[in-house]
Amino acid sequence: MTTTVDRSASSLGGKYLTFYLAGEEYGVEILRVQEIISMMPITRVPRTPKYIRGVINLRGKVIPIMDLREKFGMPPATEPEQVMIVVQVGGVQIGVVADKVSEVASIAAADIDPTPDFGAEIHTEFLLGLGKSNGRLRLLLDIERVLSTDEVTAIASLPGVAQGD
Amino acid sequence: MIPAELNDAAFIVVQLEPAEHEDIKALRDTLRQFAVFDATATTQVRAHAQQAATFLNLILLAAPGDPAVLLTQASDAIDSAIKACEAASMHEPRITQTGLIAIAHDPGDADALSADMATPVPAETAGTTPKRTPTITAPTAAQFAEAVPAAAAPAAVVVHPTAIDGGMVPDDADLSLLGDFIAESRDSMAGAEAALLQLEANPEDIEAINTVFRAFHTVKGTAAFMGLDKLAEFAHHAESLLSRVRDRELPYTQAVANLSLRSNDVLGEFLEAVEKSVQMSEPIALPSDYAHLMHDLLNVDAVLAGIETRVAAVVAAPGAAPIAVASPAADAAPVMSSRAPDDVAAPRAQAARAVVKNESDLSVRVRTDRLDRLIDMVGELVIAQSMIAADPAVTAVGQHDLVKKVSQAGKIMRELQDLSMSMRMVPMKSTFQKLTRLVRDVALKAGKIVELVTDGEDTELDRNMVDAIADPLVHMVRNAVDHGVEGPEDRERAGKPRAGRVKLAAFQQGGSVIVELRDDGRGLNRDRILAKALEKGLVSANHSLTESEINALIFAPGFSTAETITDISGRGVGMDVVRRNIESIRGRIDIQSVLGQGTVFQIRLPLTLAVTDGMLVRVGDERYVVPLTSISLSFRPEPDMLTTIPPNGEVVMLRGEVLPVVRLHQMFNIPNAVTNPSDAILMIVGDGEQRVALLVDKLLGQQQVVAKALGDGVGEIPGISGGAILSDGRVGLIIDISRMTSLARIGDVRPRALSFAA
Repeated sequence: MTTTVDRSASSLGGKYLTFYLAGEEYGVEILRVQEIISMMPITRVPRTPKYIRGVINLRGKVIPIMDLREKFGMPPATEPEQVMIVVQVGGVQIGVVADKVSEVASIAAADIDPTPDFGAEIHTEFLLGLGKSNGRLRLLLDIERVLSTDEVTAIASLPGVAQGD
Repeated sequence: MIPAELNDAAFIVVQLEPAEHEDIKALRDTLRQFAVFDATATTQVRAHAQQAATFLNLILLAAPGDPAVLLTQASDAIDSAIKACEAASMHEPRITQTGLIAIAHDPGDADALSADMATPVPAETAGTTPKRTPTITAPTAAQFAEAVPAAAAPAAVVVHPTAIDGGMVPDDADLSLLGDFIAESRDSMAGAEAALLQLEANPEDIEAINTVFRAFHTVKGTAAFMGLDKLAEFAHHAESLLSRVRDRELPYTQAVANLSLRSNDVLGEFLEAVEKSVQMSEPIALPSDYAHLMHDLLNVDAVLAGIETRVAAVVAAPGAAPIAVASPAADAAPVMSSRAPDDVAAPRAQAARAVVKNESDLSVRVRTDRLDRLIDMVGELVIAQSMIAADPAVTAVGQHDLVKKVSQAGKIMRELQDLSMSMRMVPMKSTFQKLTRLVRDVALKAGKIVELVTDGEDTELDRNMVDAIADPLVHMVRNAVDHGVEGPEDRERAGKPRAGRVKLAAFQQGGSVIVELRDDGRGLNRDRILAKALEKGLVSANHSLTESEINALIFAPGFSTAETITDISGRGVGMDVVRRNIESIRGRIDIQSVLGQGTVFQIRLPLTLAVTDGMLVRVGDERYVVPLTSISLSFRPEPDMLTTIPPNGEVVMLRGEVLPVVRLHQMFNIPNAVTNPSDAILMIVGDGEQRVALLVDKLLGQQQVVAKALGDGVGEIPGISGGAILSDGRVGLIIDISRMTSLARIGDVRPRALSFAA
């Protein structure tokens, strides 16, 4: 369902939207980002995994919101989060909660290092690599994998999943 | 499900000897007809069937190669078709183009090449050069073309070595004009098909002949103007046939009807190919039946003379459908092709239907996604308006003028919403028309006489729902004709008229639309259904079931297996899929059946998918919408009405009826909910044995909501059918009562297992 993207290091360079989450700065490919919206009330959906925070009304469309802290096994936020970043992967729209948006950064391929292997304890499969710019280190998210490893693929295989509204 | 034709073919082909030319021919024709006509099969299945026909044809043409090997190859191709069918019924039907290429590149196979030229080929093999494989095609094709004496063997395919494709759409063609042309021609084609079917009932209907004639003529004229020469040429020949009928040179026999209907199909496919060609800037792919039909049209007289023997051959084939012997004089089935011309001329009184109405309503074509977006935006506008109306600045004392203006705006917006909703409503007419054609084709193939009566085709339904019930209806109508209605002889023995009657009706009843399919066939044999269900372990022997419960067994998944097709008159084929499709659009299907007298299927659908009347309820900090149609009663229970059944069952006694209590806060794990039922509300929801008392904190009021999918990222949640935007702009979840009660009955009140949590 997802388009195969060339993941060789040379193709990783480009523009990234960066945001803060639990004190770290993360980046997501700008082409995946549809819009950034400020936090609004989220309707909890029962019987979903904890990292699905719920659903919101995005101008008449119902879209799910994902909590990356839960997904990555981090402790809950102490300060209220400020924004949701709406990304589009394989035709699926989903919002991702972030503490704060930082900037749009151009990161050259040469400045992207592969993620070091920390062993099985730490989830690095969600990362494309580590981007260096302006002396800061950003964790570049493989957003497609973040969304698709579990629930998106699991859901696409269900028969008769809602065909629009 | 596997079409009966393929099953039969697989059975026949293994018994054939290479010398039995008559039987081979009959089988070839059956396969060809299947490949060309059976719109329900996937392209791949049809391509395999076509390939099998090709191998058989090679035997008939005494092509080089061992006939016994060719027979085996034909048999393999039929097996592939059946496998493809099975694969297709497991997945969504889709065109597997790689499969087609594999077939087309089979060496020395003239017909497969003709299938190739008829099939859109992916860009890497097609390239953009129009004549891409002439070196391979020409010698082989010519070789077989030679073996066919032009008019003497009307059934043989003539492969035109040059006819690899239909050429390109001319560069100077005005694309917007082309779009209009395609859309208009499609309408004409639909009108022509309806008129053709009507002609079959009443061959004297000059007006109907003229309708078809005009349709073909218009296509021809415009196609020539657009520079689509192949299309224009084809339309010309189709038109010529009709003009001969109009001038009374030819009687409108079954054979002419078949040719005309096929012409109509090919024209339709041609238009599609033109459209595709423009989009992909590829050469126009000729429809699969093009070469064959063109040949038939060019040799009409020979074909019309030859058709009798071909039908007779089909009859003679072992194991073929039990058709009455097709001697020209016999009073064989009226839909059979062997009617004598004078028989045809006699108009059948009961079939005299109203002349096809010419719809001259002024209309504009709008893309459905734009329309849906409009409806969404109007919905948003209504919500935004109600937020303004509820704003403290407006409701503050002394703002009478402002309140009046705001409420006036609100009225207009609600009217706008109603109007936008109605734009999605379309009449059922086109769906019914397609089924008319299906009944005709299936009856013809099964050797039955079936009269289809339709009623209420102007009944309107949401566009999305019309699309969603099209497939289930095709399935059910096919079943009704193929298995429900008996053959003419059986019917006579049972004291019924020889012609079976299938009635398709649509009408509004309250807030629902009912689509009813009624046949006067043999009815459901409940004893055998029950026996089958016991054998399959779907019910236990010590369970006594009511009539309707036994009827409903045919919807059970797993009930529909190949052997039940014959055992219980085939009513089990894929009916579970039918029911699932209907339930997915919040519809319901019921059966009534009397053995020996017929069966009635009743599909009840909501008027539109878009709007649900709901009751907004509060549970803890959350709000949910319960569809109003599933609520029968709400009340605050007295403590003595409640009884606890250890370990954790709870029931409420209401007017002598004992109902299980389902605590919504428990099922959905909602914090801060009222836990003492005497301080809360019980809603009696669901129907029949599914009735339960649902515990909620408070009723917040009735509201019309627009149901929306929860988004692909969340998927299906058991017990939740979707979301609705509430008046404050937040999302409220709509409860799926039937799923929820069945969850409650099996005691599944746990949150969904987090099986895929990271």
